[in-house]
Amino acid sequence: MKKLIGILLAAGMILAMSGCGNDEKVIGGDVSNAPGSSQQTAGGSGDSAGSAQTSAKGYVFRHNGVTVSVDGDMSPVLEGLGEPVNYFEAASCAFEGLDKTYTYGSFEIVTYPQGEKDCVSTIILKDDTVSTAENISIGSSREDVTNAYGTDYTEQGSMLVYHKDGMRLCILVENDTVTSIQYFSTVLEE
Amino acid sequence: MKGRKIGRAIAAAGIVVCSLALLQRILTPKVTDGIIERALIAEYYEEAKDHDVIFIGDCEVYENFSPAVLWEKYGINSYIRGSAQQLIWQSYYLLEDTLRYETPKVVVFNVLSMQYDKPQKEAYNRMTLEGMRWSASKVKSIYASMTSKENFEDYLFPILRYHSRWSDLKLSDLENLFQVPRVSHNGYYMRVDVKAAGSIPDPVPLAEYQFGSNAYLYLDKITQLCKDKGIQLILIKAPSLYPHWYDQWETQMEEYAKEHELLYLNFLECTEEAGLDFQTDTYDGGLHLNLSGAEKLSNYFGRILTEKTAVTDRRGEAELAAVWAEKLAVYEQEKQKQYIQYGVN
Repeated sequence: MKKLIGILLAAGMILAMSGCGNDEKVIGGDVSNAPGSSQQTAGGSGDSAGSAQTSAKGYVFRHNGVTVSVDGDMSPVLEGLGEPVNYFEAASCAFEGLDKTYTYGSFEIVTYPQGEKDCVSTIILKDDTVSTAENISIGSSREDVTNAYGTDYTEQGSMLVYHKDGMRLCILVENDTVTSIQYFSTVLEE
Repeated sequence: MKGRKIGRAIAAAGIVVCSLALLQRILTPKVTDGIIERALIAEYYEEAKDHDVIFIGDCEVYENFSPAVLWEKYGINSYIRGSAQQLIWQSYYLLEDTLRYETPKVVVFNVLSMQYDKPQKEAYNRMTLEGMRWSASKVKSIYASMTSKENFEDYLFPILRYHSRWSDLKLSDLENLFQVPRVSHNGYYMRVDVKAAGSIPDPVPLAEYQFGSNAYLYLDKITQLCKDKGIQLILIKAPSLYPHWYDQWETQMEEYAKEHELLYLNFLECTEEAGLDFQTDTYDGGLHLNLSGAEKLSNYFGRILTEKTAVTDRRGEAELAAVWAEKLAVYEQEKQKQYIQYGVN
């Protein structure tokens, strides 16, 4: 009987403690522990803006020689762009860490905490003084957009959504004119 | 002989089940890890279920309203069944769950979660779902909430989800195994510190401003459930400055309230009247109110509840008053503790 209990307990313990296969999941921390995030962390982990450029993924935004990549490390970007015009931080409900918003006049960068780093979750272009790396800006036409990015997009209302390397480039087109350009990470989704 | 064997087998199975249950308790994250919101939903079950007002919703209810003030100033016995990023289907099933125990006169629902039409994040789901007692409502809430990467079995046996925590266990995981310390005041999460609101980022243009059909489905269900039970439903938008509450969203809620003859209060439109000052009444730059703000808002809302609902002043009920006297003492104690902790005068 003791053997039977021992075997059953051992089986239970093994089930509990082992990885239960390769699908190891982590939970309980902040958004950086969201399932899948550890696998999707990418880009910009170097210590300069230049290195951020070499490891960029998806569509990127460039400004004054600095490449901003979704899910990339914010610190080399900050170093390259300098102090923002405005800074805002929001603690996520319940979890530790801050979502930070850096406003540089014509564009805005939002970050999420990833371990010790802050990674870019969103880039928003706010006026026509800045443009995407593919030369699309606020005021461009729908045709300019499809010429630059093709027609392989999904439409959400008036938004054209392009997916690339696990990120989304969302271009809002109203009355045939681009009115908003947003780059989004998908790491925080689900 | 055969009977003894069966008995031994049952005993063996019992030992295994108990051991696994203990292991599950040890491995499951606890409030002692610093995320006290984990405990909010479960605390309700320890309460005497005789509330006049039940709040349901996300952080905009459990951080912005103080039931202690509603009692002290108006004799309203209320409880907040709030949790972090509580989605509207979770609110509905929490309401269903609550109505198994009591039927309040008023239910207050914060409408910010209308922006979500599908499951969001597992970590937040668990904040709401794990604290619920098992019932059909909990099962339905789990199924409504799961993201594509989640499994029902992981909710049924959390040990399957948390097994990888074994290498991160701390002494604190063993300290509160069976007795979880109370962290809220009738569901209210107190913070006394101050961080003034500064410049809030501009609202980001959205692809779609229309709330989704799933969100409306559950809003309809909340409305209908309240109607069926003779409960007055009040829709509110708490006065949080961020995330942004769009005008298009406001219009939809105003129209919904009008169509269903509900009271809808957008507290963003009456911050001055409520006496709120976002230089002193928020602890995180305008996202949530601190104690000072929550008490002002509760005082303001209490007057509305008194004037526009059937709630009555119950301070004359000796037994309930005695319960609240104890609660208020604990409330005051934590106030003083936090004033020292955060260096607030």
